[in-house]
Amino acid sequence: MRDVIVIGAGGCGPVVAKELAAHGLDVLLLEGGPRHANPRQEWSLLENDASHLLNGYLRAGPQDRSKPAWYRELPQNSFLWQVAGVGGTTQHYFGNCPRAYPGVFSGYAGADRGNYDVGHLFPFGYSDLVPYYEWVEATLPVSTAPMGTKETVYFRGCETLGIPVQTTKTTKGPSYRPQENAILPPGGHAGLTTDRSKLVFPLSTGCTFCGHCIQGCMQPISVPRNLTARRSTDNSYVPMGLTANAWSPQGKAVTLVTDSMVTKIHTGLVDGRLSATGVTWRDNGTGEQHREDARVVVLAGGAVESPRLWLNSGLPNPNDWVGRGFTDHYLDLVCGVFDDEVGNSKGPHSSARCDFPGYGALQNVGIGPAIQALAMTSSDSGIRGQYTNGRGLTGNWDGATGRLAATELKDVLLHGVDRILNVVTLTDDDVRPDNRITLSAMPADENGPVPKVRMDQRGRSTRSVRNREFLARKAVDLLRGAGAKKVYRMDLAPLMMHVHSTMRMGVSETNSVLDANAESRAVKRLFVADNSALPNSIGGPNPTLTSQALATRTAEKIFRNYFGGDPWVTTGAPVVSTDQRITRRMAELGL
Amino acid sequence: MTEAEPNRRAFLTRMGLFGVLAGAAVAVPVAAHAGSSGGTVPSLVLDLVRPALNTVSRQTYNALTVFAVPGQDEYSTRQGTPRSEPGAIEARATDFMLHALDNFVPFPDELARPIAGTLAAGLGGVPITLSGGLLGLDLSAVDSLGGAVDALLANDEVLPLSMVVALLLNSLALRVNPLSATGVLQSPFARLTYAEKAKAFSLLEGGDSTLVGAADSDVPEPLRETVSGLSGYVGGSLLTFSAFSTYSEWAVFSTGTRSVTGVPVGWRISDHDPGVLDGWDDLRGYYQNRKAVAA
Ligand SMILES: Cc1cc2nc3c(=O)[nH]c(=O)nc-3n(C[C@H](O)[C@H](O)[C@H](O)COP(=O)(O)OP(=O)(O)OC[C@H]3O[C@@H](n4cnc5c(N)ncnc54)[C@H](O)[C@@H]3O)c2cc1C
Ligand code: SF4
Repeated sequence: MRDVIVIGAGGCGPVVAKELAAHGLDVLLLEGGPRHANPRQEWSLLENDASHLLNGYLRAGPQDRSKPAWYRELPQNSFLWQVAGVGGTTQHYFGNCPRAYPGVFSGYAGADRGNYDVGHLFPFGYSDLVPYYEWVEATLPVSTAPMGTKETVYFRGCETLGIPVQTTKTTKGPSYRPQENAILPPGGHAGLTTDRSKLVFPLSTGCTFCGHCIQGCMQPISVPRNLTARRSTDNSYVPMGLTANAWSPQGKAVTLVTDSMVTKIHTGLVDGRLSATGVTWRDNGTGEQHREDARVVVLAGGAVESPRLWLNSGLPNPNDWVGRGFTDHYLDLVCGVFDDEVGNSKGPHSSARCDFPGYGALQNVGIGPAIQALAMTSSDSGIRGQYTNGRGLTGNWDGATGRLAATELKDVLLHGVDRILNVVTLTDDDVRPDNRITLSAMPADENGPVPKVRMDQRGRSTRSVRNREFLARKAVDLLRGAGAKKVYRMDLAPLMMHVHSTMRMGVSETNSVLDANAESRAVKRLFVADNSALPNSIGGPNPTLTSQALATRTAEKIFRNYFGGDPWVTTGAPVVSTDQRITRRMAELGL
Repeated sequence: MTEAEPNRRAFLTRMGLFGVLAGAAVAVPVAAHAGSSGGTVPSLVLDLVRPALNTVSRQTYNALTVFAVPGQDEYSTRQGTPRSEPGAIEARATDFMLHALDNFVPFPDELARPIAGTLAAGLGGVPITLSGGLLGLDLSAVDSLGGAVDALLANDEVLPLSMVVALLLNSLALRVNPLSATGVLQSPFARLTYAEKAKAFSLLEGGDSTLVGAADSDVPEPLRETVSGLSGYVGGSLLTFSAFSTYSEWAVFSTGTRSVTGVPVGWRISDHDPGVLDGWDDLRGYYQNRKAVAA
């Protein structure tokens, strides 16, 4: 019998695992994908080898790349971008760590309070989460991003928008700023050289501006795992969990089992109430089934797999909200074409942003040619100049929205991928019951019925549409202000890379799965601690920091309510994940 | 008359193909074709059918991928967008698509068979070349795209997803331009102009109710609406995957060394310089020299 079993070692599961292990609990962390123990031997940093949705080394699937990826039925034109393995989707992520807008929390009294998804607020106030934000920011750690060429161009555009620079962690109004991100700042030669002999740790420390965040961060060369530049959880929280006994006086190292998919959450009566009692998982390599029991089970499989596992386990779903309320920031992409190099494929992918509380956010996104081509051929507006699919929006951008294809696409790319600056809209989109995860009628895989991910792009709320239109126009103004000669707006089909709120916590019992402690209302001792626990789309900011702060809070609730312990966040001091005790212990363990 | 025939007639009607195919534009024995399906075919004949269908399929994907990235090849010329630089064909995008679709996307037979059967009904008027006349076999039942597919289905062959998608694109091609049923190359889709291909995509992406409705109604519950969803998904992803593969390193990637053996076509087109992969000298300092912010 374990104290706690955590399902999923992605962006958030390891946060709960590390926090509870630091306080001496016996934690088993189960992950369905691989652990990339030796990125230098496993990764190429090339776009297809890394990011091919079906067989890339960063994909949602088992360790053995010759086996199919996990199938998800997408009953619409769309992409779902998630990664399995230790680190989960943070193996792809850009490390951006903005806080949620205060307006998405209960008790917000700002003049613009009517401007948010008011029917689906956090069941507590912003100030309640602030200590947890600070704790995670210190742990990862989060710092202010430096600029590359593309950020200098982006800021040139921002300076024409008539909004101030934000110089605080909390967003208080429309503003622009460098990202606060979970990337160690460049030190030594990093960012200043292309000489590989100098890109070696410790001659270089932190971000080397390699330009491959999506393909996985393993910089600088020869760096110890927990000092790797980008703080995806495989480099931060997981090393902390595995070495908890080395840096926390009462710590007990987390047990990590990878390439093992949980297929069922077991329940029984504990203290007279229906409660989670353990899990069954399946070793992807051997097919063997294992079962372990625990006092508490934490579900953190991500916004698609968490509801899938719930439904496959036959757990109660009294108000039918498991899987509902899926939000994805209703992404759109605006691409500016410049006469000069803007460094699209260099440096961290996104180090600059704008915030428009009540509407959402903008950020730059730097990418290589394959993902650039993919993004420019994705649209809900048909093909430019040929057909509009009932849309073909016009505005301050050039021509109508739509995919570029053939000659037009080629001519844009012939001009040079490094002369494109992309701005993406992160829309404050509303929780809608019909955007949801269900079980597909397609054949089950070895882990049970597969998920069906429905996002009705044409059925977005009036507010979501208003927000996206507002943001797209701001993005165009920004790009023109920065000097773009031509600006394309894509009107993307759902590009689901920020996936949240499918097991939402909420104020009301009628439309939420979790209570204010992130514990399931229907099954006690079962907590959800990933993006799916978010009550809404947090206003548009990138979600992971908020989910990690919430997961930290959830760990405290678990510790207090089921293990009789005291909370630690307001009284304690966090250990930073780059601490040398972690480095040393990881080396001793050969990890 | 086979049991499937009313469905097929309904399908053809809804596709807008019945009139076209039964009329004078192309001589197609619709009823005869439908009647001829269902029987087993000698395995020698199947041995002729398979490579012929594969040729149709490959040509369809060649025509698809140049729709995303045209180059110096005959498919690009045929669609009316010849280019002086290399494109999807030189980047072997067809192989990429076939590999991805057939090895990594699960496609249950319960879906493949009815969809392929439905589509085959509309493809009876598309002649294909079988190199087997000398053997003295009667090939009249299988010398059309529809007949060939029917023969495979009747013999319980599993149709890969790539083949079904190719049939779909060719069905749409006939709908957009009935004259594409015959001509050079083996695939109607490959005979279309750029604008006609775009039209085919507009039908596919718009969840064209005629086409999708027909296919959906031939699929058993609970998979029914799966076909309409799949069609939207396929309509979206065929173009994006074609573009992604061409502009990626795929065609010149060596799994042994985990690196490229030459400069990928897409990097040449887009002037992409990956540098040393481990770092760039692109640090431009801190905005307003601020390295930290307040709470
Ligand atoms: C290209 C890209 C860039 C991004 N950039 C940012 C950014 O800059 N900032 C930001 O905040 N967010 C960013 N995101 C989003 C970010 O990656 C996610 O918010 C975050 O990873 C979500 O964490 P999670 O724990 O909810 O899910 P995941 O990280 O997806 O982790 C879930 C894990 O659970 C495992 N799992 C699932 N089911 C089971 C099971 N049954 N048994 C065992 N294991 C299971 C999965 O394999 C996976 O490893 C980005 C995403 C993408 C795709
Ligand atoms: S750009 Fe920086 S953070 Fe991104 S992968 Fe390279 S070194 Fe890591």
